[in-house]
Amino acid sequence: MQHEDLNHACAYIISELNRIETVAGTLAMIEREHYDTLNRFDHRELLDVAVEEQSAARQLSMVKQVCGELVQKMAEIQQAVGRQGETGHASSH
Amino acid sequence: MLRLIENWLRSAINETVDKALTRLVRDQYPESIAEMLPSLQKVGGVRFAELLMRSAQGAPAPRPLGSPQRFSPWEQLLFNPVHLCRFPTPENVPVATAVTIGPRARRPLTVAIPILIAGMSFGGALSKRAKIALARAASAVGTATNTGEAGLLAEERAAARLLIGQYNRGGWLNAPEQYRQLDAIEIQLGQGAQGSTPQRTRARNIGPDYREVFGLAEGEDAVIHSRLPGVNSQQEFIRLVRRLRAETGVPVGLKIAATHHLERELAVALEAGVDFVTVDGAEGGTHGGAPTLQDDMGLPTLYAVARARDYLVRQKAAGGVSLIAAGGLITPGQMLKAMALGADAVYIGTAAVIALIGDQAVEALPFEPPTSMVVYTGKLTDQLDEDRAARSLQRFLNACVTEMEMVAVSLGRTALADINKSDLCALDPVLARATGVQLGLVAPDRQERLFPELAGRWQPGWLPPAEPPGGSLPERQDPLEPVH
Repeated sequence: MQHEDLNHACAYIISELNRIETVAGTLAMIEREHYDTLNRFDHRELLDVAVEEQSAARQLSMVKQVCGELVQKMAEIQQAVGRQGETGHASSH
Repeated sequence: MLRLIENWLRSAINETVDKALTRLVRDQYPESIAEMLPSLQKVGGVRFAELLMRSAQGAPAPRPLGSPQRFSPWEQLLFNPVHLCRFPTPENVPVATAVTIGPRARRPLTVAIPILIAGMSFGGALSKRAKIALARAASAVGTATNTGEAGLLAEERAAARLLIGQYNRGGWLNAPEQYRQLDAIEIQLGQGAQGSTPQRTRARNIGPDYREVFGLAEGEDAVIHSRLPGVNSQQEFIRLVRRLRAETGVPVGLKIAATHHLERELAVALEAGVDFVTVDGAEGGTHGGAPTLQDDMGLPTLYAVARARDYLVRQKAAGGVSLIAAGGLITPGQMLKAMALGADAVYIGTAAVIALIGDQAVEALPFEPPTSMVVYTGKLTDQLDEDRAARSLQRFLNACVTEMEMVAVSLGRTALADINKSDLCALDPVLARATGVQLGLVAPDRQERLFPELAGRWQPGWLPPAEPPGGSLPERQDPLEPVH
């Protein structure tokens, strides 16, 4: 893969990770609202579903956190790719 | 007719009780059953029962679930809610519960909640159904479960989204084709309930499924050695850790029984480059171990966590090397206090097993103990409903984390991982000094009244979690400075 392609790939992955991070955060919020709603009912099965919703909310929050960390790593990779590209460009002149 | 029988029975019982009580009151000790009362009080109920078991069997009584003694004074630590000096967290702000184990590893392990299921082996401890139910519950809440000292149980691997495997002293999970299937590797050199004592499961208690998973021949005992096979020096341990890290990329950690040698053990672990350390306090559970190993060895979990964290900070390893606390953590309050003292995550074993059994305990009682539904050699293992058990544990874990989140809100924190020693106060001066938690009996800027050597060296908010090497504290600052 060429240096430019690598750079574009990194940018694309970072952009998608940012999008997944946002979606995960939004879905986590919705799951938490579902938990609150379901908890209003005094019904055993609904309460079990509520517990599952709360677990889902926490796992989506985890996905959001992991995405944030991956974005940082990808940014580091992108910078490294950029530096390598500059070095290669300079040495070819 | 029934009335007549009832009256006759009442009369007979009354007469019998009267006679018994009269004898109890009038007879001297040598002739009275009342002699049992001071004897029981002197010896203690559990010790009395175990004394009789030893005299009947001539061998250690394999007591389940660890020591009944409560070594760690968790109740002497309290959290500090905030109102104005710092504001509580608004209720619409979520509290982050996820933690990453082994952030320096090529493939760190991130879990959605900081509670992990402790190592409890298939066969050596639990039944296959129980292991699968634990794995399913862990996966449902986004956390990891642990193989314990066993081989790789295919059903457990399939049910667990995240599986920590113990590279163990029996050698059953130590082949590359096994440990490469794990999400983290925990080198097991000891446990709180048994130290580094060897253990043996007799062939008569080993079924075909157990033999298959452990790779045992028919009639062969399952033996856990006191040392890890092939590791007889610190250098061999260091080489093992480095090899496993390079080969797998997953977090590689060390599990030990917490002891007074803790720092010396951790020094070797850090030199080896472990990604995480599990300290299992003296309250740690087991499926069945000698009472003396459980009651009379090790270091309480509370002090073990505080010391381990302190050592990691002094070695500038905190943050890079994760600390997992284990041993007798039953309530969410205890779990969160362990985290405030420096643990990144906690393992629960006994609490998980009790929650797993849940309301199915009634199926066993009153003629069998509830644990007979989950231990490998139990009589009622076939009666455990995996779905119900997994759901029961899932509810328990959810309740625990919810309670932890509630505390975090009251502390003004937005992440469980942000809770630290400054969020605690101690009710006991020795505990305060030992753990670095401020003493709740006097104001933050008046701690020197009880600890004169701190005069002029105390920060009004709290003892900073990242105490600089050498233990020197910052100079006193404005006493009205708000806590952060």
